[in-house]
Amino acid sequence: MNVNARVLSNRLAQQCSLKRIVTFSTKPTQQAAAVAVPQQKDAANSAPVRKPIVPAHYRFVYPEFLPDPKVEWRNTVREKLERLDMLDRRRQIELPEFYVGSILAVTSSDPHAAGKISRFVGICIHRERCGLRARFILRNVIDHQGIEVVYELYDPTIQKVEVLRLEKRVDDSLFYLRDALPEFSTFDEQMEPETLEEGTPVPINDIKVVLRPRPWLERWERQNLLGVANIDQYIKDKHRKSAEKVQKPWEKYDMMKHYRATIPEEEQKEIFAEVHTELHTLELQRKRNKRKRSFVKPKQLA
Amino acid sequence: MNQAEVSKLISQLRITMRPNKRHLKNSEGPEGRLLKLRKTVTALVKHERIELFYNRADEARGYAELLISNAIRYGDRHKATMELADYWLLEKQLVHKLFKVLVPRYENFSSSYTRMLKAPRDYPGIYYKKSVLEFRGNPFPALVPDYTQNRNLLHNVLLDEARKEFRREQLAKMANKFAAETAAPPALATQENDAGN
Repeated sequence: MNVNARVLSNRLAQQCSLKRIVTFSTKPTQQAAAVAVPQQKDAANSAPVRKPIVPAHYRFVYPEFLPDPKVEWRNTVREKLERLDMLDRRRQIELPEFYVGSILAVTSSDPHAAGKISRFVGICIHRERCGLRARFILRNVIDHQGIEVVYELYDPTIQKVEVLRLEKRVDDSLFYLRDALPEFSTFDEQMEPETLEEGTPVPINDIKVVLRPRPWLERWERQNLLGVANIDQYIKDKHRKSAEKVQKPWEKYDMMKHYRATIPEEEQKEIFAEVHTELHTLELQRKRNKRKRSFVKPKQLA
Repeated sequence: MNQAEVSKLISQLRITMRPNKRHLKNSEGPEGRLLKLRKTVTALVKHERIELFYNRADEARGYAELLISNAIRYGDRHKATMELADYWLLEKQLVHKLFKVLVPRYENFSSSYTRMLKAPRDYPGIYYKKSVLEFRGNPFPALVPDYTQNRNLLHNVLLDEARKEFRREQLAKMANKFAAETAAPPALATQENDAGN
């Protein structure tokens, strides 16, 4: 509120200085501006208003807190309620920072599993959707069979999410692992979590994946993938030509397209200012009792 | 429910934006559409005020706004912004204008950088709506009459009255002062006489 008031008064002062009001009555407005300016100074001197300092990396760590940019689907009230629910869930269970390319172990309730608990280890190949519906896909090769599991991040049946290896890949999604040799998506289920030193940036793994020969599930040659080594080996000239034809080099410059796909910075600041303190305290709490079990069993009602 | 793209940070537009783009009629597809808009943006930066069909103006407006807001945000040392300006401004001398004239002009603006007005269309003619797209703070005479100076507006009437009253008060004060001064000399004279005696 304080900050808003200051901004408002700033704007007022600016408008006054524009002299868009009648020229022969400028004096009173100038006086008003002069009055407004010392007030700001007083506020700055007496009580330094601490702005919520939201780290710039929050939008990468918590992308699901940003709503869907599609205008027709926006609903500020629903978004706010969803954020509250997400925070509520995060108070119950640790949902760590992870990216596409990180290796996770997810423990979830499963009525059909022995012991009613199943644990799946795999590489995150895709993250999508936002808000309470945020979800990710884990992939692993078990008994020579590629397995993928879609988990919803805020699913109440999820009991524990562990990040075994925190890293990024060079591509936004790793669906090409489905067509890669199985060793590139095989991960040991007994893998120990690797710890990163605090403050180090998340490492980017620029491993080049080797694909199987065609036929493939998608036309990988059209997608400008950086993490694939041997696409050229399997495609012919006709594929190369058709891939060139579907390229859209102008999209890089289509600013309105980007604008419609993003949440503008001002809005992001507002959203993260709202959830920042809560998320930060949760992070600190997790750090403090890292050894404790992160899953809290829900109380039995009635 | 798609995730918002987070790799880029863009400032909020100060204009109302349509949720979807218009497919401006062209045979070249999306690239041709952008070429159309590039021509419009270039003309806007060059002439600062242009008259054109409403749809094309409305589409080009967002691009012009974002081009300026990017230039303000990143400055002329940023490679991606320079590429953007190079793409959008077909006449390369306008890149200099963007960074040396428009950026300083709009740096401290709190409103949008462009203004769009509806223009009359000629009758009988093509039925498309027409509009005028212009930069704020352009050197041309204003298109919309400035009614803030109108003496019949209530606030101006009140201000006039206040000014009149102020003047009356000042005059009254001056008159009082003058009266006091004219009344004072005899008293002074008697005092002097007393002192002399």
